[in-house]
Amino acid sequence: MNVINLTYLREREKKEYGKRTITVIQEFGAENIAQCMQCGACSSICPLSISGFEWYNKKLIKGIELGLRDEFFDDPTPWACVACNRCSEVCPRDVNPFEVMFAMRRLMIEEFVIPPTALEALRSLYEHGHAIYVENRKARKAVGLDEKPPTTDSNEKALEELRIILKNTRLIELGLFPLK
Amino acid sequence: MPNTTFLFFLTCLDNFGDKLSKEEPRIGVYVCHCGENIAGAVDVEEVRRFAEKLPNVVIARDYLFMCSDPGQEIIKKDIRDGLINRVVVASCTPKTHEPIFRRACEAAGLNKYYLEMANIRDQCAWAHWHEKKKATEKAKYLVASAVAKARLLEPLEDRYVEMNQNVLVIGGGISGIFASLDLANAGYKVYLVEKEPSIGGNMAKLDKTFPTNDCASCILTPLMVEVANNENIELLTYSEVESVEGSVGNFKVKIRRKQTWVDWDKCTGCGACINVCPPAARVPNEFNEGLDERGAIYIQFPQAVPRKAVIDIDACVKCAGREFGKPPKVSKDGRKILAPCEKACPTGACLRDEPRDPEGSILEIEVGAIIVATGYRVMDKKYFKEFSPSSPNVITALQMERLISATGPSDGKLIVPSDIKKYKEGKNAREPKVIVYISCVGSRSKRYHSYCSKICCMYMLKQAMQLKESYPDLDIYIFFIDVRTTGKDFDEYYMRCKELGIHIIRGKVGGINQLPNERLLVRGYDSDIGKPVELESDIVVLASAVEPSQGMEELSRKLGISIGIEGFLKEKHPKLYPVDTLSEGIFICGCAQGPKDIPDSVAQAKAAASSVMSLLSKGKMKVEPLIAEIDRDRCSGCGICEPLCPYKAITITEKRKKEKKAELNPALCKGCGVCVVACPSKAIKLHGYTFEQLLSQVEALSIELER
Amino acid sequence: MKKYGLFLGCNIAFNRPDVEVSMRKVFPAFGIELDNLDGQSCCPTWGTMPSVDLVGWCAVAARNLALGEEKGIDLITACNTCYSSLCEARHKILTDEKLYKKVNEVLSKIGKKYQGKSKCRHIAWVLYEDIGLEKIEEKLKYRLDGMRIAVQPGCHFLWPSESLTEKEEDPFNPVILRNLCEALGAKAPYYSRLIDCCGAGALKSTSPEKALKLAESKFKSIEEEVKADLIVTTCSSCMIQLDESQQKLKKIGKLKKEIPVFHYIQILAICMGFDPKKVAGICITPRDKIIRKILEEK
Repeated sequence: MNVINLTYLREREKKEYGKRTITVIQEFGAENIAQCMQCGACSSICPLSISGFEWYNKKLIKGIELGLRDEFFDDPTPWACVACNRCSEVCPRDVNPFEVMFAMRRLMIEEFVIPPTALEALRSLYEHGHAIYVENRKARKAVGLDEKPPTTDSNEKALEELRIILKNTRLIELGLFPLK
Repeated sequence: MPNTTFLFFLTCLDNFGDKLSKEEPRIGVYVCHCGENIAGAVDVEEVRRFAEKLPNVVIARDYLFMCSDPGQEIIKKDIRDGLINRVVVASCTPKTHEPIFRRACEAAGLNKYYLEMANIRDQCAWAHWHEKKKATEKAKYLVASAVAKARLLEPLEDRYVEMNQNVLVIGGGISGIFASLDLANAGYKVYLVEKEPSIGGNMAKLDKTFPTNDCASCILTPLMVEVANNENIELLTYSEVESVEGSVGNFKVKIRRKQTWVDWDKCTGCGACINVCPPAARVPNEFNEGLDERGAIYIQFPQAVPRKAVIDIDACVKCAGREFGKPPKVSKDGRKILAPCEKACPTGACLRDEPRDPEGSILEIEVGAIIVATGYRVMDKKYFKEFSPSSPNVITALQMERLISATGPSDGKLIVPSDIKKYKEGKNAREPKVIVYISCVGSRSKRYHSYCSKICCMYMLKQAMQLKESYPDLDIYIFFIDVRTTGKDFDEYYMRCKELGIHIIRGKVGGINQLPNERLLVRGYDSDIGKPVELESDIVVLASAVEPSQGMEELSRKLGISIGIEGFLKEKHPKLYPVDTLSEGIFICGCAQGPKDIPDSVAQAKAAASSVMSLLSKGKMKVEPLIAEIDRDRCSGCGICEPLCPYKAITITEKRKKEKKAELNPALCKGCGVCVVACPSKAIKLHGYTFEQLLSQVEALSIELER
Repeated sequence: MKKYGLFLGCNIAFNRPDVEVSMRKVFPAFGIELDNLDGQSCCPTWGTMPSVDLVGWCAVAARNLALGEEKGIDLITACNTCYSSLCEARHKILTDEKLYKKVNEVLSKIGKKYQGKSKCRHIAWVLYEDIGLEKIEEKLKYRLDGMRIAVQPGCHFLWPSESLTEKEEDPFNPVILRNLCEALGAKAPYYSRLIDCCGAGALKSTSPEKALKLAESKFKSIEEEVKADLIVTTCSSCMIQLDESQQKLKKIGKLKKEIPVFHYIQILAICMGFDPKKVAGICITPRDKIIRKILEEK
């Protein structure tokens, strides 16, 4: 059926989750989400909206407000956000839709809903200190630089420090990959 | 008491002007149930029994609703029977009910200031609804305190102050015009002060008005002429309020008449001077909202009332070295070197010789009431960076109104604003094919104004309908967030617009970019379909937020009235008193109070005029005698009280014996009590709140209640 | 000598080290010393810690910023992602007291702290403010007179204007990059899609076809309105996206003419006379023609 059953959503919020989805999103960092008056300014210039994604800022906020939650988990939109923040720049209510997208990510990651590229980037961050890491150093050598840049790549102590920080974040509870 | 002390006591009383009655106070205490409101938390019977036992209390009764007719009758009967000569009512708030009980006392023949109320509802029962025992105890204390004061009440008399019958109306827009006409036709003398050279306000800038599509000038101009011709209205344009002193019934106002540099008695408004003002002296034309320019000497608009010229000396380029405030230079052959405007004027009205007076001349008037009708302005487009405000084809709605108006920069011909200059030079000006409207620009926003500006939805539809009817091939897109067409005939108007083929899109525009040839790329969103939309447009009209007129904040400070958080003048009560302010005698109306359309402005203007008439019609104003009184013999002349009085009611004067003492003007005193507290000699007494009364109340609150 | 910590990020360090070389050559030539900021890591980029939790994001960012704070220097970067991630983290730390405490609690576990003193600046602003257009012009060996440049400041250079270290006066009509390009002698006109997103980053990794659509729209506007000889950006990600997508678009027949893409620091380095192979050797859309043209003129 093409109908959104609001009663079902409300009951589910009360019984299964114990909290309204909008409250969860607020707690994850999108404090002003309730201020949204659905004007649409953010969606008129959002790259996700323009290129054809489904649950971009305005629609995501509305869906969250209605009580949708698991329904988003199949959709790649929140993970496609480029964080350009043009939405926050034009929003008349200071809702900061960017924060809503990322709060959604933080919720999804709890349920292990994370695209393989993002998971790989996190793993790489822990392993090497870089989200993007390339073994082949021909390019660096060709332009006359040291094979290893002056980052955690060449500084074992710094990498260890970074790992200690990461072990003191939510990554530990999430258990996405082993943090040795 | 030994004789000497008694005589001293008497002289004290006499010197103090004390009017304490020589008879014993016989107090009647009346405890109200107020239905359940008091009885639900307070044991009324217990309080009544407690009151009975207090000294000087001869009778204590209780009743369900003391303020009702039978309730009041109980009090009146006790007075008429001679049982009591002081009344204490333990009930609700004096704010609403004190006048009722005072009237009851008066009707029964007792001085109405022999009444004291104890608020055992708002300040007791309601506040402590769930602690009945403690609430009852507190009620007893409150009653004891009221009784203590009742013992010391004075039989004061009401005073009457003469009210000046003139009225000042500030602002000559549609609201100010209607307020003035209503008052003038009722026989009151009105001073109508307007800061521009002409009255008419923003309505004079409009082309048509919704929902009837009446021509604004056609309905406004006759009213403006009526104002000019009305013998009860003194029209003071190109003037501003400089200062206001005094209080209701007796305001002393200084009005600064700005220097026009043109003799308005001689000027006929022919306009000959305007044609000769050189091109070098051009500034943005405020009446056309900056779309084109005017000269230094100008008449505000063709239907101006009064239709007189004014020289803007900041814009004047002083042709041929013609200075202001000096006689003209004389050429070698003895001719005076005059400026072109001086030469062109057939009546010699140009007054460039007059000495420069930057303050203008001051006119002092006395009025009994003031109406503030200063109107509104719209937000400038420069604040909205995402809408490409640097483009000349992005304009505000008021600018669009001027563009389509027959007296506007293109004589009413619809052209793109970027070609106005071309039009004026007689060249071919491009006509727009697509026009986009954007609503809620600066309104409903956390960054600028949180309120809705109310008139924009309707005026966008009005302009669109006008344009579509005149140019059927024009494509018009209106981007709304919500369509707010509340009011009679408004929703039908909206539907007619849709029938005409005007595109209504629900979704805000997030960005505008410039395209070649001064066209614009509009990035919007259609919420109904749920997709972003974009289009190319020739003109973009921003429905920018309505704000109060410039200078309203300063004016409000001069008048001593408040401004609300959102920036408009604050009314006394948002529901029941929309045109009154907390300052008695000062009323507000029109857009100065909040954004609204013409019918609502007129309604408020008439309401304000009617309130003024209610206030002034009796000629005298009853003033409560609960004001201060200074004992000059006790006064040491230190002068601490004078600057403290917020109403400037105290002056230090010399009278007998050449000693400087404080003197109080009872007409100005509001009984605030600041001077009473500040006086180090305790020479000032506040009737109704004397030291003895208050201290006896405090003492009563410290008694031990029997458990 | 003014000193800055050179923040590399990931893409520049591994995929486009020619940008790194440009920076290492250009800044010392203007008397600005670059510190290696040894031990720096990923900023952290948007797809990593910011997607996990707020404290984690700000702690990793604060560690990087603290590397500069310890030495009393600010950081500079040529990557918009690094710039915005570090700026936003710093803004949040400085405006939220609770967050400030939590971040420093985490940092204390490695014996560090961050007080908000050091900030991250974009190299475009350092060139514009610290050095200035005049000094840049003086140092040019080659000029781009007669050439037309389509500029791409990139979203993260402009928004959110509240938290960026330095902001354009009108973020919807940015002029800094245009002025920097015009200092090289070229014309850098306004075009209607100048501030539009190129589609790089998470959008591209989630859906390459959708990202391509955004790039296509960008190129269309550039073709019609600018008739550009080259595209210059202030963002390494935009550069990679606009560079790569041209080949893909050409394959499906949606691109008429190829336009070489440079990072501003690279084109500046070339104009200052440094070896083009070292400072701009890595690209997908060929740059040889335009480089030859530049080196021919004086």
